Amino acid sequence: MKGLLKIIDALRPTFDEGGKLGILKPVFGALEHFFFAPSDTTLGAPHIRDPIDLKRLMSMVIISVVPCALAALYFFGWRFLAMVVVSYASGLAVEALFAMVRKEGINEGFFVTGILFPLILPPGTPLWMVGLGVAFGVFIGKELFGGTGRNVFNPALVGRCFLALAYPKAMSAGYMKPSHDLLGCLLFKWLPSGSGVDAVTVATPLSSAKGGEIGSTAHLLLGSVAGSAGETSAILIIFGGVFLLLTRVANWRTVVSTLGSFIVLTSALLIGGTISYERMPGVFGPVMWHLFAGGLLFGTFFMATDPVTGPTTNCGKWMYGIIIGSVTVLIRHFTGYVEGVTFAILLGNITAPILDEIVFKVRFRRLAGEE
Amino acid sequence: MKFRGGHNLLLQGRPDGMIKLMPEPDVLYLPLRSRRFSFAELCVEEGQQVNGGDVLARDLDNYSVPLLAPRAGRVFLNEQEGHIVLKDVARHAGHADIEDEDLPHIAQEMGASGIKRYRLLTLGAWQFFYDAYSGELPDPLGRPQAIIVSTLSLEPFLARGDAQLHNRLLNFTRGLEQLQSLLEYQPIYLVMPDIKSEFANLIRNHIRGYASVKMLEIPLTYPYDDFSILVRRLGLKRSEGPVWSVRTEGVLAVDRALTLSKPSLVRIISIGGTGIKNPTHISVMPGYPIQRIRDKYIFEPVSRIINGGILTGEQLGPDSLGLDTECRGLTVLPELQEREFLGFIRPGWDRSSYAACFLSSLRDKFRERLSTGLHGEGRPCVSCNFCEDVCPAGITPHLIHKYLYRDLIEEVEQARVDLCIECGLCSYVCPSKIDLRSQIIDSKALIAQEKEEIRKEQLRQEELRKQEEARKQAEENIE
Repeated sequence: MKGLLKIIDALRPTFDEGGKLGILKPVFGALEHFFFAPSDTTLGAPHIRDPIDLKRLMSMVIISVVPCALAALYFFGWRFLAMVVVSYASGLAVEALFAMVRKEGINEGFFVTGILFPLILPPGTPLWMVGLGVAFGVFIGKELFGGTGRNVFNPALVGRCFLALAYPKAMSAGYMKPSHDLLGCLLFKWLPSGSGVDAVTVATPLSSAKGGEIGSTAHLLLGSVAGSAGETSAILIIFGGVFLLLTRVANWRTVVSTLGSFIVLTSALLIGGTISYERMPGVFGPVMWHLFAGGLLFGTFFMATDPVTGPTTNCGKWMYGIIIGSVTVLIRHFTGYVEGVTFAILLGNITAPILDEIVFKVRFRRLAGEE
Repeated sequence: MKFRGGHNLLLQGRPDGMIKLMPEPDVLYLPLRSRRFSFAELCVEEGQQVNGGDVLARDLDNYSVPLLAPRAGRVFLNEQEGHIVLKDVARHAGHADIEDEDLPHIAQEMGASGIKRYRLLTLGAWQFFYDAYSGELPDPLGRPQAIIVSTLSLEPFLARGDAQLHNRLLNFTRGLEQLQSLLEYQPIYLVMPDIKSEFANLIRNHIRGYASVKMLEIPLTYPYDDFSILVRRLGLKRSEGPVWSVRTEGVLAVDRALTLSKPSLVRIISIGGTGIKNPTHISVMPGYPIQRIRDKYIFEPVSRIINGGILTGEQLGPDSLGLDTECRGLTVLPELQEREFLGFIRPGWDRSSYAACFLSSLRDKFRERLSTGLHGEGRPCVSCNFCEDVCPAGITPHLIHKYLYRDLIEEVEQARVDLCIECGLCSYVCPSKIDLRSQIIDSKALIAQEKEEIRKEQLRQEELRKQEEARKQAEENIE
């Protein structure tokens, strides 16, 4: 470790302002601070600081999606790993480019986008589309707004939305049947057996439900269904999501209000008879099925809870969750789209600043009377 | 009472309840500045011999609060920049009292209670009083709507009330009675950690019939003992007069001044923090040379000495030689020097954090060993809302930060930046390492300055208008 520090110290002048490779300073800085935490000290009161930093905060998100990523490997093969690598490489290039132009450090926020993005794509998405999508998402969704902390939209969702609108056919062809072997694809299988990139389009549970056909809830819970790479296994998502809530990185209010409003509205539609399924009568069954189907859980736990693009106030978070949950229900049942979580969260992102504004207005009025 | 926010830092180096005597010094370095006071008006001459309790200097901006000589000695004014140096220090009984010939004059002017207040001021007890709203020194002749007495000090690591009260309960209750005698019927609120304890009952029995004291129990969470938080939670309105607030030490000083007519020259302060060998309380006088404390207690070679607590104290530079008159404790933290390898992926069994992102959240509460390290790089705000969650004043630090970034001063004012009590928790929890506390303090100063300018401008225009009117009047008269 000491040796590495010596090497870094020796290399620093080369990358400093005016050095030979001065333009690469942000890249060097990111690498340096990855290995060695800075020794900066506080300048005044408070003289101590919490040990938490953004690197740690973002690491928590990455840790919490690791179960989903492993499930993606298991069900959809090692090709998924290639998607992750492409996503990181392409996104990091855009991020580093902007850091160099702005002469700022590379922000940790990208490491989350880089792993979340392949998880919300169909597992058969062509690799060039993965690269293009993440680059688009980071560029349009984040850097144009001023980088981490200032973006209005979740970059991963912007990238996905772009791909879904630009290449609808290729995207829906990317869905594939999950592996049904005991060991899944863990034994270095590139793709689950019986599927190729040019295989016949597989229906996701939600698209069959659109036709009134509803599958088994247990499969949704375990994840052995077709769908985006990381969104199929409800139980692992809940596991990772609860971990994220416990660490306080994600706020429980958003999660509770999103899922709560989703359940309430879906039950209301079922009771009212607007939607009904022959195979699964009653209310509780179909509600649970819809809760576990598609990207709702993944979006709620890992996308909607993004602090930057969501509202900051607690009251705003409740309203934000209700908007996302109900819009998802409306898109699923009353539009031509089978899945609405992406659009619902992006719509929520649009409303987030206004929700905050309303809450702050009320709060300021209340505070005005305080002495 | 309902509180919001707050957060307890559990750190190593908490002072124990003992009080240790320090050896008598030969030289005292009395700083002319402290947090609230600036003793600009000197009352002694170079080389003059003074007795313990003599007035060395006064702060004319703060109701002429005196700087008393803690011991007898010879005064040197120009030896150290910003200090009065007292040499050949010897222990002499303090004698300072109001001169007899002054008394009738004062009694005539201010009445019996006025004499008491005058005594508090001249015997150095008044400097322990705070105005609960502003934190400044209150007017000794004012009429408070209430007095808040706090036995707590929750900021790590300031002198603890229980250590200061040790063996001096009688003096404390007598002090409360003396405080009551300054009031007509206004209440005294006594803030305690546990109002059902034996100790609280003891106080109750002592003061029964002499003072009407309302006991308040508050949770032991930093910074609920802050006077401006307490006054807000008590629902006292600023328009109904000032609220005096005083800590244990102040009550003891009041007792000493009014019952014994003696000045309080010795204080009990804490010395704590990670860099202290045996964290404890010491009994010292203002001006006590810091170097001597350093020699005896501090073991970390590279450390930061803080005058006050960890969250709000000020760093003592090499040019401050003695303890100032307002010092409530010294905190010593080792300076971070080493760079940690792969710091952010360590399990963190031994670091506790507001966000439960370290393995330590699985274990019981423990006292952490902390240094002055920032533990990360500065980053833009990600709106994690931690700062709002811990803010005891109910404002939104990250929003104020964003307004300041865009230069929206009016909005900053609207967000009630003036309610901030400068507790430092927002800066502490921020994962982006933004120095919210100092930004907020700066903006408060800026707003105060702007208001002052507006007021001056209004006065000027008023003046002009009056002149104009007078001129017109004169013209009319001529006509």
